[in-house]
Formats: sequence, C-alpha cells, structure tokens
Amino acid sequence: MGAELVTVSTDTEFVHLAWKRDEKELADVTYKMGADPTGAVSKLFGVYDPASGLALRGSFIIAPDGTLFNSEVNFYNMGRNIDELMRKFKANLYLTRKADEGCPSKWKDDGDATLRPGPEMVGRVHEALNK
Amino acid sequence: MSEELKPVSVGQSVPDFELTTYDPVAHDFSKFSLAEAKKAGKWTILFFYPADFTFV
Repeated sequence: MGAELVTVSTDTEFVHLAWKRDEKELADVTYKMGADPTGAVSKLFGVYDPASGLALRGSFIIAPDGTLFNSEVNFYNMGRNIDELMRKFKANLYLTRKADEGCPSKWKDDGDATLRPGPEMVGRVHEALNK
Repeated sequence: MSEELKPVSVGQSVPDFELTTYDPVAHDFSKFSLAEAKKAGKWTILFFYPADFTFV
C-alpha cells in the first residue's frame, strides 16, 4: 500500500533473524524487523519501559513529511488489532486526498461515509479515530 | 544520531532516526532510515512490541 512497515523491539537484529527462522507464525513476514537494543528509538516514541528494558506495544503512523499522525500504545498482554491499524492507515491516505473531510468512527474504507468538519470538529479527529 | 529527550507527540514532526533491521526478504541485515522513507514519499508504520519469542 505504499507504506514502509517496520516492527521494532529492543532485541538485537540477530534475535530477529533467529525468531523469524523458528516461528512459523512469521513465515509470511516481509517487513523489516528493527532492532533497538539501546532503547533510543523506543524512547523517542515514549514506549520505552525502564523497569524491563523492553518496548511497550505501540503503533505509530508517520506521514511522508515526517509528521506523526497516529499513535496507539497498549500495556503488555494485549495485542493490537491489525485491521484497526490498516483502517487508520487507509483513513490517512483518504484524508490526504480529501483534506476538508473527516473520517468518522465507523469509517472503514474508501466509499464509506465521511464528515465535513466545522469548527467544532477541529482537534477531535484523534478521538474519533480511536473510539 | 541525536534524539529528543521528550517523546514525539502526534502532530509533531518526528526527528530523523535510523534502525538496524533484519530484512527477511533479503535474508540480511539492513537499515531503516526515516530520512530515506521521507525522501521516497512513503508513509512509515512503526510497530513496537516487547520481545521476540513472546506471545500475542
């Protein structure tokens, strides 16, 4: 879809290689697996947990101009919904084409109903996308 | 590589950073650079998780 997907954990790239080789659930993985053993990038996004030295489950979508568009962080034992991440990404793509519209909470894909925001909608897109 | 002490917030510009990566398609180690992704006009999706060989 024209995005660069990179997974990141504080494991080294060597562990990523071994995990990819061992875990059959990862058989279809084509994305790059990022290594952040110093925690520098995790800290940049506020997901570094100093108590464990590990990264929290955070997903971030960055626009081509470097703006951080979306952020979702969960505590340890809850997985994220990839459909939701894809929905957000598609909404981002849609909105870069239609800058005067807003994707309400039930929006899933191109063709779904959108809103034309007025002053009362300014600053509320984040809440609407994360309902 | 310099990094902000305060984490990036939504709506802010993410400073350029680099990550060493394992590329399963090339079966090799590689680098991800935000500066390069931006130059290529690409969106970047970062997916952090605690550790390899864990569940969920």
